[in-house]
Amino acid sequence: MTKYEPEMQKSAFPKLTEPNGLDTGPIPIEPYISPEWFEKEREQIFGRAWLCMGRIEQLPEPDTYIVKEIEVRGVIALITRDKADKVRAFHNVCSHRANMIVQDSAGKGSRFVCKYHNWAYRNDGDCIGVPDRANFFNLDIKKCGLTPIVCDVWEGWIFINLQKVPEVSLKEFLGPFGEAFTNAPAPSAEHAFNVNVSTMKANWKTTIDAFCESYHVPVLHPDTVGATFANDSNPYSRPLSGHARGAHRTMTTFGNPDYVPPEHALVERLAYSNLDLGNTLGANDAKEIQALLDHPAINPRRVPNWATEIAWIFPNFLIFYSPGGFFTLEFWPLSVNSTRWVARMHIPKAKDVRQRFQQEHHNCRMAEIFLEDVGNLERQQRAMESGAKTEIVLQDGEFMLRHSIETIRKWVAAKTVREALA
Amino acid sequence: MTMTAPESSLPRDFADLEPFVAYWAGETNDIRWDRRSRAPMEQIRRFYDAMLPRADEALTYLEQFPLGEAPADATRLLCLLLSLPHAAMAVEFHRQPRAAASPFPHGMNVAKGPWPQGW
Repeated sequence: MTKYEPEMQKSAFPKLTEPNGLDTGPIPIEPYISPEWFEKEREQIFGRAWLCMGRIEQLPEPDTYIVKEIEVRGVIALITRDKADKVRAFHNVCSHRANMIVQDSAGKGSRFVCKYHNWAYRNDGDCIGVPDRANFFNLDIKKCGLTPIVCDVWEGWIFINLQKVPEVSLKEFLGPFGEAFTNAPAPSAEHAFNVNVSTMKANWKTTIDAFCESYHVPVLHPDTVGATFANDSNPYSRPLSGHARGAHRTMTTFGNPDYVPPEHALVERLAYSNLDLGNTLGANDAKEIQALLDHPAINPRRVPNWATEIAWIFPNFLIFYSPGGFFTLEFWPLSVNSTRWVARMHIPKAKDVRQRFQQEHHNCRMAEIFLEDVGNLERQQRAMESGAKTEIVLQDGEFMLRHSIETIRKWVAAKTVREALA
Repeated sequence: MTMTAPESSLPRDFADLEPFVAYWAGETNDIRWDRRSRAPMEQIRRFYDAMLPRADEALTYLEQFPLGEAPADATRLLCLLLSLPHAAMAVEFHRQPRAAASPFPHGMNVAKGPWPQGW
């Protein structure tokens, strides 16, 4: 891959595709609709890549746990934090008759008891109790622990790897992305509201692609958010910078500095009357926000009118940094044409009722935008599956999609992870 | 049996908003969103027109209580007030109850947030 050339990024709208070493030709539709291709992704990508599970703050204190389902691998991961703050992951499966142990999605507790026959486990994975043990046959309780899943934490982000022995470390997997985003702050990481989409009828790539180009925003979201992402100086919402970073990629999107709520939007005006308009998430910790603004990889060209820095961690995890904080999106394939996804909007705890009112307005708007995307993407998936087209064409501002699909094709073809990362 | 007018479930100064409580004072973000999505435009508009002129006054009234520690009548007023942004999505953005060509029903829900009246 060509190394990013700073001089190419000098114009208002820098070229992104070729300077990042990418081709400019059409992209085959097959990976978006083919069941055979999906089976390859299941093995070669989700079976081998490090997968981001979210923030460490989801385990807010010692002896807490979360359960994360990775449907594409049929895995239910139990992620625990013990008294010594060590984070571990296990298959949420009992060693007795292989039933599911923990049934809720998060909680507090240092031990887990299977509700079938009361086998008990500590959060370090050891089996610590087998009722009527004497009636088993030479049962070695030391061998009855939970089956571990490889787990590592990078900068407060929890990752798992579903290979028994990962071919590469998390550090090697993150590569240049990890180097660039070391010390990136995570303001209000301990608070979030979630928007969950339990299932939508589109391929996971169709879905994640829509969040990684701003070309569509003025068209698909004209009333909800379009005007904040485009203006006369940038009517097509061209990106302000973009970088391929190993298997990962990042892009700065444009924010309309002239945006004010329109005359008729009285509730929007009321909600934002006591806030900076750039700061759509509301008052956050000022020091952390300053650290975010100062981070060299976030809005790397230091343009004043930026809205978001989108960090796409391969394969399926997005972090959106904005001048007001950050949120994440994760996309989990259920089948070739259905996807579950989760948005975690990190916001500060409201200090007063006016901030609480503004947050409700903010999250209403996000939910409306997401719903516009859901409808759009389900239509796109059906149209892709019609067979009318065998290829799609991408413009320069859609370079992240191109880098994603090229990376996916590489991983699907590569015999080893190291070869895929080369 | 004597009939007495039911007491307002809202703080006294907001008693005139009582007709909107049953539908619009939904207890969670998700309920508020769902109710707005199901309501016809005229019903959304009636609530928006009645609540908007009182919104600033309601915010000022609610400012006397720490968030999450208001008495029941004020909490109800807050839930009612928090439906106003939902109504505004229809009135100010979509000019119809839901975004054009967005699916309904759909598999999307808003989960509990880190706030009072956010769950």
